[in-house]
Amino acid sequence: MTLRFSNRPFHVCLVAFTFFTHGGTGKTASQAEIFTDVTEQAGITWHHFSGESPDRFLIETMGGGVGFLDFDGDGLQDIFFVNGGETPRGKSPTPVRNALYRNLGNGKFEDVAAKAGVDRIGFYGMGVAVADYDNDGFPDLFITGFPESALFHNNGNGTFTNVTDRAGVKNAGKWAASAAWFDYDRDGLLDLVVTNYVQFSFDNPKKCAVNDVPTYCEQEAYLGMPLSLYHNNGNGTFTDVSRQAGFDKLVGRALGVVAIDVNDDRLPDLFIARDASPNLLLINKGNGRFEDIALDAEVAYDAGGLAKAGMGVDAGDLNGDGFPDFVVTNFNDQYHSLFFGSPALRYDDRTVASHLAEYSKSFVGWGAHFIDYDNDGNLDLVIANGHINQVVETTRSDVKYKEPPLLLRNNGKGIFQNMREQAGPAFNTGYSARGLAIGDFDNDGGIDIVLTCLNGKPILLRNNVGQSNSWIGFQLQGTKSNRDAVGAKITVSFSDRKLVRWITGGSSYLSSHDKRVIVGLGEGPQPAAVNAEIRWPSGTVQRISNLRSNQYNRISEPIKHSPAVHNK
Amino acid sequence: MRLHFNSCKVAILIATLLPLFVSNVGHGSDQRRDAEIHADKGLRLAQAGNLPEAEIELRIAVQVVPDDAGFLSNLGTILAMERKLEDSTGVFERALRVDPKDVTTRRYLAANLWQLHRYPEAKRNLEIILNQAPNDKESRLLLGMVSENMKDYPTAIRMLGSVPAQVRERPESIAALARSYYHLGQRKNAQRSLEELLTHPSGARGILLGAQVADEMKDYDTAEKLITAITSQSTDQATVGYELALVQYHAKRFAESQRTLLSLISSGYKSSQAFNLLGWCYHEENQPADAARAMQEAIDLDPTQQSNYLDLEKILLASGSLPSALGAAKRASDRFPDSPLAFLMRGSIELKMSQFTDAVVSYTRALRLDPANPDASLGLAEAQSNAGLDKEAVAGFEAAIRKFPQDPRFRLQYALMLLKLAESGNLSAETRAERLLKSAVALTPPLPEVHYQLGDLAQKKNRTTEALAEFRHAAKLDPQSAKVHFALGRIYRRLGRNAEAAREMDFYQRLKESESKAAMPPSGTGASQN
Repeated sequence: MTLRFSNRPFHVCLVAFTFFTHGGTGKTASQAEIFTDVTEQAGITWHHFSGESPDRFLIETMGGGVGFLDFDGDGLQDIFFVNGGETPRGKSPTPVRNALYRNLGNGKFEDVAAKAGVDRIGFYGMGVAVADYDNDGFPDLFITGFPESALFHNNGNGTFTNVTDRAGVKNAGKWAASAAWFDYDRDGLLDLVVTNYVQFSFDNPKKCAVNDVPTYCEQEAYLGMPLSLYHNNGNGTFTDVSRQAGFDKLVGRALGVVAIDVNDDRLPDLFIARDASPNLLLINKGNGRFEDIALDAEVAYDAGGLAKAGMGVDAGDLNGDGFPDFVVTNFNDQYHSLFFGSPALRYDDRTVASHLAEYSKSFVGWGAHFIDYDNDGNLDLVIANGHINQVVETTRSDVKYKEPPLLLRNNGKGIFQNMREQAGPAFNTGYSARGLAIGDFDNDGGIDIVLTCLNGKPILLRNNVGQSNSWIGFQLQGTKSNRDAVGAKITVSFSDRKLVRWITGGSSYLSSHDKRVIVGLGEGPQPAAVNAEIRWPSGTVQRISNLRSNQYNRISEPIKHSPAVHNK
Repeated sequence: MRLHFNSCKVAILIATLLPLFVSNVGHGSDQRRDAEIHADKGLRLAQAGNLPEAEIELRIAVQVVPDDAGFLSNLGTILAMERKLEDSTGVFERALRVDPKDVTTRRYLAANLWQLHRYPEAKRNLEIILNQAPNDKESRLLLGMVSENMKDYPTAIRMLGSVPAQVRERPESIAALARSYYHLGQRKNAQRSLEELLTHPSGARGILLGAQVADEMKDYDTAEKLITAITSQSTDQATVGYELALVQYHAKRFAESQRTLLSLISSGYKSSQAFNLLGWCYHEENQPADAARAMQEAIDLDPTQQSNYLDLEKILLASGSLPSALGAAKRASDRFPDSPLAFLMRGSIELKMSQFTDAVVSYTRALRLDPANPDASLGLAEAQSNAGLDKEAVAGFEAAIRKFPQDPRFRLQYALMLLKLAESGNLSAETRAERLLKSAVALTPPLPEVHYQLGDLAQKKNRTTEALAEFRHAAKLDPQSAKVHFALGRIYRRLGRNAEAAREMDFYQRLKESESKAAMPPSGTGASQN
């Protein structure tokens, strides 16, 4: 099926395709629940291993990551899980392996990590950032960890090659947490930013206890690290430009990162969530340097000047004003933070007004992502929670070690409703959840979720309700821009609504997401006309009319600008 | 550290009362004769030092003839000598109702009232005497002492200065006069008074007292001079050495104080208090491990001294060793199970370590041991609030506000809890919190946090002028509060006053940096978390 363009001719290929129709994955769960835990029926049996030990190393509490990716180009989202590792006194009876679950298309997955050559890494694993850094059409994997990280190039034949040393992105000696691919210099090649957490060593365990029971020392017992920025040279190698970018001076306990253009100057900026260090909002100056404006933007600290325990972060337009807003997950009693953006780059802290404070008071949050789970056109929010202190329940009655994830429905104005009752059993069950990724693994337009759990099995949650409203899917392919179109801004217009979405780099915590964008079109009959404006990372602006809904639209970046395309 | 116990009041009281034993008889009946027999016997027993038997005899005399001022006065005197000051005071007052003009009895009553810290009443009685007998030297001496206690230093100097012979008799009155001079800035006069102690018959005891006064008044050179003068003559080298080290410590000459103590200890004068002070010296010199060791030695030498345990806890807390501090607190509360202070301290450490459930238990125990203790009430309600026991905390705060209506801390902490509840959905809580904060403003001491919170509330409601005023007020009360300067920076920036905003933010950053340095636990000590 081919869509018609409002502006012809285009030197682009625009193909709409539908992978699955509703019900194609054989849904059996009660429609009363929004998400169904399908981990078992999907055949996902992998376990995370943290290396928990009597030494109580902080790293044992922090992993692991997860990423949605279509590694074999079959149109189905596969899932990659990053395992932790052994610690000096926390040994695994079996080798610690990552998992790459290939989506078989029938609701089942098969672990092909060993065959693909990504099951073993020689370090303690943390997170994953997926992107096609060499624009060859196949997504590659950057795996973060301690005391190094690794880049696996996708060979396009179902296997990967570890190219870390040649690429120069080992990030040696550092405890890397999240990472984001983004094209900061807009040369069409994805660069890499890595959040490094703290100065850490297995040789120096820090001792802490609650009532003589050994427990994990607080993060403030560890000194922070600067961020790493690697510039993609386009020949398979990268250059560490952290110092040139000014990142060497940004020392702190960085965990989460999202890349998005906050000031609409077409240069991707960075929001860095940091743990007991002030958050950073790094404005891309366009000359290879970044300027932190978090303090003036009022996102660095809480109102009392206290740096919260920032873990995960995501960006999206929550209140429909066209400006990116941010969510940052924090520790219990601090509340997860919600900041509304404005053209003046002074953010409005809506944590209390949105009810996010109320719903997150007792939780330690990690992965988080905006998700329009019901395709009503409003970005909702899903958050992975889980405490780090196993004896916390002996210290207070209102906080648990295992905590349920949160699914919060947005009324369109940034006011949340806790969907715990309707969301499904997984949202009423305590987990030690960490990583969180979103993606439409069954291609039905309902965005699904995968969570990782410390020392446990992951949870794959299938969306049962997204299909009940109309939606439109975008799968962008850059030509001049990076092939993944990371940094693209999509504005969708229909009826009297205008919705803005971005293809961000990074986001959540240790995790990577389906890069396709789904825009919910709301209740009622399908809109008569759905138009979109795509601003590609290169600056090219492309307008498309009469897009068809309830399917994915593969859109390539125009090679030449058409008369209808305007650049700023 | 231990406080010095000032024994001067006892000495003066006894000296004042001893000449009282005068026969005051004159009744003619058989009953009176019987009473007189008992009274005489009582006086003889008293003079022989048998005060309990003397009291019995005098009580019989008073029972037989209840309105005899003399019997009453003598009974009051014996009771005073037995340190039964409340009883004695009541008896003196009865005597004065019978014979209001009895100067001697009134003087003894005043002495009792002084002993009981009922200074205004003592003063009133002494003024009555001096109206009748302006040259009553003992009363002038006493009024001088009372005035010094009442911080009426001009009167103290006037009264004590008018009876130099009486003042010179007792080191305590010399000390009171010197202290009054110090308070009025007459340092030279104070030093001259204290120098009299160098040749005073009381010897080393008097000189040490003088040194303590000079030390207390931060005249460390004089204090050291006095102590040095007795170093060779005193047989109590342990006390003299300790006092010298204490003065050096107060003078912030910590290394010197440490040397003095180590020399004392190496000479064999090992005492719990010397190790305690040594611990504080190490602490001041940023040697936390040595400080803790010295304090542990102090505990080992005198396990009955609770203050050593508490000091160890404070030192460990200050060095960021929360788990060790809690360990010490647990040992203290095990050793002193009836001490509210031990459980208060334990609760406060548990609160700091976010061990809220345990803190609830400790504070509950402290409150049971000392139901009138506001710190225990406050700690308990705070711990309950943090432990998620909201209902119990509300009840605790409400009860405590009724019990301690003048203590602004309860209103503040309760308001903070309500503001948290308001943030998580309880809308009426914010109104109540604001009312509590506003009511706390009128109370003393003024709490900067109250103004900060009022400013924060005003800012949230876009009442910018009010918010700015409150934040400024908070900054005035606590100029070193990072968060107040942060709030000021934010509000100035919103008002477009960028230079002031930048100044406040710069101040905030500097304060935060120093806070971080102070909070950074030494490597390997560990820091607890929840």
